[in-house]
Amino acid sequence: MILVLPTLAEPQHFSLFEKLLFAGLAVASGYGFWRQFGKILDKILQSKKDPSFRLFPLGKRIWEFFWEVLCQAKVVRERPLPGLAHAFVFWAFCAFALVTLNHCAVVLGIGFLSPRGQFARFYFYFVAAFALSCAVGILGLFVRRFFIRPKWLGEKLSYQSGAIALLIFVLMATYLASFFVTDASLTARTLWWLHTLALLGFLPLIPHSKHLHLVLSPATVFLSRGGFAQIPPLSGDEDFGLVAGTDLTRLVSLQAYSCVECGRCTEHCPAANTGKLLNPKEIVLGLRGYLNDLGPASEEPLLGKYNAQEAVFQCTTCGACEFQCPVGIEHVPILVGLRRGAVNTGVWEDQHGAKLFLALERGSNALGLSPTERDKFIEKQALPLFDGTQEYCLWLGCMGGYDPKGREIVADFARVMNYLGTSYGVLRKEKCTGDPVRRLGNDLLFQQLAEANLEALAQNKVKKIVSICPHCVRTIQEDWKEYGTPPEVEHHSEFLARYADRLPKQINDENIVFHDPCYLGRYRNVYDQPRTVAALAGNLVEAPRNRERSFCCGAGGGLAFLGEETGERVSHNRAAELVATGAQTIAAACPFCNTMFRDALAATGEGAPELVDIAQLAARGLPASGGS
Amino acid sequence: MSGILVVQEAGRKRISFEALAFGRRLAELTGLAVETAAVGDPNETIFVETSGPPIPTSHAVRHSLLEKYTSDGYVLAFEQLIRKLEPSYVVFPHTYQSRDYVPRLATRFGQVLISDITGIEAGPIFIRQLVQGKLTGAYRHQGDGPCFLSIQAGAFPADPPQAGKTIILTFQPEIAPSDIRTRPSEPFRGGSQTVDLGSAQLIVSVGRGIKDAANIPIVQELATALGAELAASRPICDNGWLPMERQVGSSGQTVSPKLYLAIGISGAIQHLVGMKGSQCVVAINKDPDAPIFEVADYGIAGDLFEVVPALTAAVKAAKQ
Amino acid sequence: MKIIVAIKQVPGPDAQVRIDATGKWIEESDLQFALNESDAYALEEALQLKEKHGGEVIVVSAGPERVGTTIREALAKGADRAIQIACDDLGTRDALGVSRLLAAAIKTENPDLILTGLQSEDLGLGQTGVIVAELLGLPHATLILHVEVLDGAGTQAQIKVKRELEEGWFQTIELPTPAVLTIQSGGNKLRYATLMGIKRAKTKEVRQLTAAELGVDSAPVVLLEQVSMPQRKKSTQMLPGNAQEAATALVEKLKFEVRVL
Repeated sequence: MILVLPTLAEPQHFSLFEKLLFAGLAVASGYGFWRQFGKILDKILQSKKDPSFRLFPLGKRIWEFFWEVLCQAKVVRERPLPGLAHAFVFWAFCAFALVTLNHCAVVLGIGFLSPRGQFARFYFYFVAAFALSCAVGILGLFVRRFFIRPKWLGEKLSYQSGAIALLIFVLMATYLASFFVTDASLTARTLWWLHTLALLGFLPLIPHSKHLHLVLSPATVFLSRGGFAQIPPLSGDEDFGLVAGTDLTRLVSLQAYSCVECGRCTEHCPAANTGKLLNPKEIVLGLRGYLNDLGPASEEPLLGKYNAQEAVFQCTTCGACEFQCPVGIEHVPILVGLRRGAVNTGVWEDQHGAKLFLALERGSNALGLSPTERDKFIEKQALPLFDGTQEYCLWLGCMGGYDPKGREIVADFARVMNYLGTSYGVLRKEKCTGDPVRRLGNDLLFQQLAEANLEALAQNKVKKIVSICPHCVRTIQEDWKEYGTPPEVEHHSEFLARYADRLPKQINDENIVFHDPCYLGRYRNVYDQPRTVAALAGNLVEAPRNRERSFCCGAGGGLAFLGEETGERVSHNRAAELVATGAQTIAAACPFCNTMFRDALAATGEGAPELVDIAQLAARGLPASGGS
Repeated sequence: MSGILVVQEAGRKRISFEALAFGRRLAELTGLAVETAAVGDPNETIFVETSGPPIPTSHAVRHSLLEKYTSDGYVLAFEQLIRKLEPSYVVFPHTYQSRDYVPRLATRFGQVLISDITGIEAGPIFIRQLVQGKLTGAYRHQGDGPCFLSIQAGAFPADPPQAGKTIILTFQPEIAPSDIRTRPSEPFRGGSQTVDLGSAQLIVSVGRGIKDAANIPIVQELATALGAELAASRPICDNGWLPMERQVGSSGQTVSPKLYLAIGISGAIQHLVGMKGSQCVVAINKDPDAPIFEVADYGIAGDLFEVVPALTAAVKAAKQ
Repeated sequence: MKIIVAIKQVPGPDAQVRIDATGKWIEESDLQFALNESDAYALEEALQLKEKHGGEVIVVSAGPERVGTTIREALAKGADRAIQIACDDLGTRDALGVSRLLAAAIKTENPDLILTGLQSEDLGLGQTGVIVAELLGLPHATLILHVEVLDGAGTQAQIKVKRELEEGWFQTIELPTPAVLTIQSGGNKLRYATLMGIKRAKTKEVRQLTAAELGVDSAPVVLLEQVSMPQRKKSTQMLPGNAQEAATALVEKLKFEVRVL
């Protein structure tokens, strides 16, 4: 039995009137598109250039483009079902390219894909499969937005999105329906015109809505800064960060216009999840609003009508927003840039912030304590001093040097290093790496600290650093690059994991839940090494929000040094989640996480799980005399 | 006269007697005689009460324009007295008042005040603290003209009083109303309804060791007995056992009192940064290894539920 | 309103104190220096007065070349210009000698108000401001927390200041300008140095003077003959015994050592 497959109907013989009508509508549509898109392109190109942007090497960019844009990897992975639906819509758009071209050519009598031809028949079926999945997808997304109404898409219903969804559906439906009519029929012609009207109506809507991302986001993903949460250096004497419109760079403007308003950033933001004013999506849209109303040549402050200073200083720089963004928006440099604009010009007036800055202006550590306290600790712990001959410089940092809990971590890590026979020493004097002031946007202070530290390290002939604090590690490795060449640096979890097979393993049935620090996980891509170390002391269980989705402890971005939070405490939110895993032990790998959770667990009262650092877990199995 | 003139402050008996005790030490080293002077009426306490053996001669400086302290008035009055008596040494207690006028007074004689002295040695050499107490300095006076000195409170304990008679001479300086350029008000207390831990001189602070809100009164009683403000570490305020404005720490208030009594506080860094400026820290904690003891001047490793009531009773007894 | 702020560069609060070869001062070669704390509050008060009443704030400082850094910091925080008095032997001058230098420089400016910090973190004499007032024949007040201008315009302006007294008391004093005030720490929230401030400071005027130019003699009447390290007291004294005994011992300490009872 022969199966007769339907073919796509293609109306023949369009009248002159129809041709002229089509041409007129097409021109109008194109004009409608270009008039708005041109304006936006102008605004982006009129923004100042990014002085530190390097297009090469292209390899990574091409890969990102392929994986994130063409394969829709992040879109699907981070929100599977809606992501897949979107992927189908996107792939359909890609697949439709030739179809659409042919569709328009047909009316002018120069159609190049004859429906009877072998290639065309195959191709049209190929596209039909996508059209079907797209139609189902867009229907699902419509139901999700207008009936299910997830919180992160925003409170207001977007009728614009509804209209677009309708147009897309019409495009797919008309295409599919065209398989079931004959070429010469009126229905075919009607379907052709419906499809055309939907198409020509869609085009000008693109730059007038968030669907601009169709055009921009492939470029945005391709043109990312490179690196994660990369803070660009200031350029020249008049650059103080993002103060006004004139400071917005092309990358920032491009990103502001690319926002799809999907709300994935906000969904994972610790501030937004605990009742604060900060909403990363609104920050980006605030910049877009500024650009639309005032443009990139305006001197009006960016923080004011379009974005609140209060919100910007609630950010912990955890990077969850930037990590989640499917269109390549880099939120962290934007937020830090806005902070720079406020701090470098002295506009930010915060008593705790000023106290932190003054402590570092006059002293060596962020806590404002006398360095003799650190000396006493080194002496009491009998830590060896670095003399240029040892392999590693053990960097204590402010927490390791001054915080009682941080010191315990250092002491246990030293015990392990002694057991392993590692050659290491601690510096006689340390200055704060500058992490909190860097994230708060104080470039004057950061430059002073970075330069002083780089000089001291060079003088002391330090080649390799190992640190217990992910913030120190990040700042030394990445942020100090702006002022010199930092030595190699690694986090103690990376060090310990390398020697895990030489460390004694304890067998017990203690459940341990590891909390991924933001600056170790998302920032450094280190997820397995601390787990390897923690597994030495028990069984690992995972928290619901783990690895790249780990929920911040609340200390980053300099916030550990600022005053009371509004709303629920970020640390309490995360601590509750960790406690709910039922684990007997919470393992941390950052002294800030440790401090934040200690307070939160205190509120839990009796029966709270034990809170330790992975270094302490590693040291547990050591023989009593091993080390200090 | 060429002796030692000890200038006393009518409202500050204790440190004035300490200045006198220093004057006697100086007299031993120099062989000079001691006389005292003060602004006030001969029948005021500062003249009637003595410390150690009675001074042969005492000068009561009297003038209507000296009723309220002003630097202009006191500088003029004492300049005239010093020119009359011509002492080799003029000793003052180191009070806010002396710091306000004595440098001006000394300048009129081309001299410099050696201030806040904590020790004296043969020479005479005068000892004072430098660089926030990290260094000790030995000072010597040279040249002609009176040597102006002020002594630190508590450095030279006052002698117990002995019976005897002092001759009090009244001295009336010449001061015109136009000489007084400043108009001081009456003193007033720092007025604010809300708790201002930042300016409190005595603080009793409570931490998680207190275990329950119902136990806070134990610590409050101690605070009241001492005349101290009550403060707390963060968990106490978080639980609502004390209001947030009493929180001492990185996210609360920073304090620098003369005495900080930390009760049941372990000494986490967020708390330490708020109170590290305290002049004297006393810690009471069950755990002898608690980090708070690292920063304490005095510590009691014991059960606060026993120590605090005992301390409250002892403080009340001492104040009687 | 023309306000002069006399500032001093002192060893920073974290300074490791070691005695130098002469035995007369501390080793300065690897010290970090900073703006004296109460001088920072004096500068802050001056800047706030300028923001409120207009005028200019001029900082003046005497010392070796390194005080230039502290002067620039003051300019970065908002002072309009500065006077730097080059003086390599500041340590051999007594308070009167130093004050004579400052008074000679300040006199040329004819300011409405002169602010200094209450006392320096290294010598802690607390006299410079008061002596300058005497040398210039001006009224003064010490331990000031706030300044209020009562009559802003005219040459006979009056100010009202809030002064700290012992044991938590305060008083206000009214006095005419020009006047000298020594400023106590803690009256205001200090501002932090900003990048913008530092960049702008590069173009602000720093007038250079020498001690010789100012024609001030320097024979001191008070000499710091020698310095030494104090006895180590900073260890924790644990009070032993049962609750009663420990409490009694503590009360003794509070009474006689800490002197709060």
